[in-house]
Amino acid sequence: MKRKEAIETIMTLVNSKDIVVSTTGLISREIFEKFDSDRNVYVPGSMGLASSIGLGLAVSCPNKKVVVIDGDASLLMNLGSIVTIGKWQPQNLLHVVIDNGAYGSCNEERSMSDSANFDKLALNVGYQNVRIADSQEALKCAIINFRRGPEFILAKIDLGGRRDFRRPLKLAEIKNRFMLFLH
Amino acid sequence: MKKENKLYDNGTFNVLDGEKSKKADRLHRAIKKEGVDFATGVPCGVLRHIIRNISDDQSVLHIPANRESEAVGIAAGAYLAGKTPLAYMQNSGLFGASNDIASLLIPYEIPIFFIVSYRGCEDDDAIQHLTTGGATERLLKSFGLSFVVLDGHDLDDLVEIMFQKMRETMLPVFLLLKRGWQI
Repeated sequence: MKRKEAIETIMTLVNSKDIVVSTTGLISREIFEKFDSDRNVYVPGSMGLASSIGLGLAVSCPNKKVVVIDGDASLLMNLGSIVTIGKWQPQNLLHVVIDNGAYGSCNEERSMSDSANFDKLALNVGYQNVRIADSQEALKCAIINFRRGPEFILAKIDLGGRRDFRRPLKLAEIKNRFMLFLH
Repeated sequence: MKKENKLYDNGTFNVLDGEKSKKADRLHRAIKKEGVDFATGVPCGVLRHIIRNISDDQSVLHIPANRESEAVGIAAGAYLAGKTPLAYMQNSGLFGASNDIASLLIPYEIPIFFIVSYRGCEDDDAIQHLTTGGATERLLKSFGLSFVVLDGHDLDDLVEIMFQKMRETMLPVFLLLKRGWQI
């Protein structure tokens, strides 16, 4: 599966009423360019915090589903976050990790996700469900079958893909329209 | 006094000096008056009284973090969801979270009220605190952020003024508390 395919699968399946929080780098940039929406929160800086922002949102709006689109190196940078998520058990949180085994937005330097066993970690810290998806079809099933959070999907993708996406820059405007979307 | 110690031994409240802190109670009331309904952070002994107040307050959703960066992310998510969050930490952790303040809270214009213990601001503190202690105010100044070192202020007035400033600027503000502030 390519990054493009994983992002397309997630963004076309997630309900338009749901919140999407996406991580730093190409993941946010691709979503911003192709699937920009008031319900999106991009995390262009503060790498690693997408899941923490998602947790803050999920516990504060229990009636809204929150989908975090994380990366493998982002998750590793703030790994304690999955322990906090497991502790607080937000039933409305879906945590998708797009795993290309590298800092894909840099020069594809390898991350340590190949030895991290994210699926086991997520289960051990208390995620209700953990699924691994290495194809678009498997990813589609994993997203559709969301039952009760916190759920974790490890979406394995290949390296590579387009890099020349524009950047979300007007963050204060993105915040304002997101808060209007919520209320 | 004996009764107080017994209470502490039983873990009824976390009061290491055998007394409840009236100043922590006042700070607690003052931030509640400003609408604080969410808290996250990493503990510091200097903040033990106010953390205890917050933890015991059923009307404040308290989600402790493992690391200060994580707390910034959780607080940001809560703010986006319409909460009025408080973040608490030691100034050493403020340095760890400084990029998250700079690259998430400032560009997104997310106002968060920070309560930060101010270690290392006096020479008699432990050596590991002296460098960050000497640089804390300069760090915040260099980011263009407002802070107050509590020093004989009326807490009610001070908190009101700080929240006013925070809402005008849409930037985080920082209340720095030195050791012994609670007496």
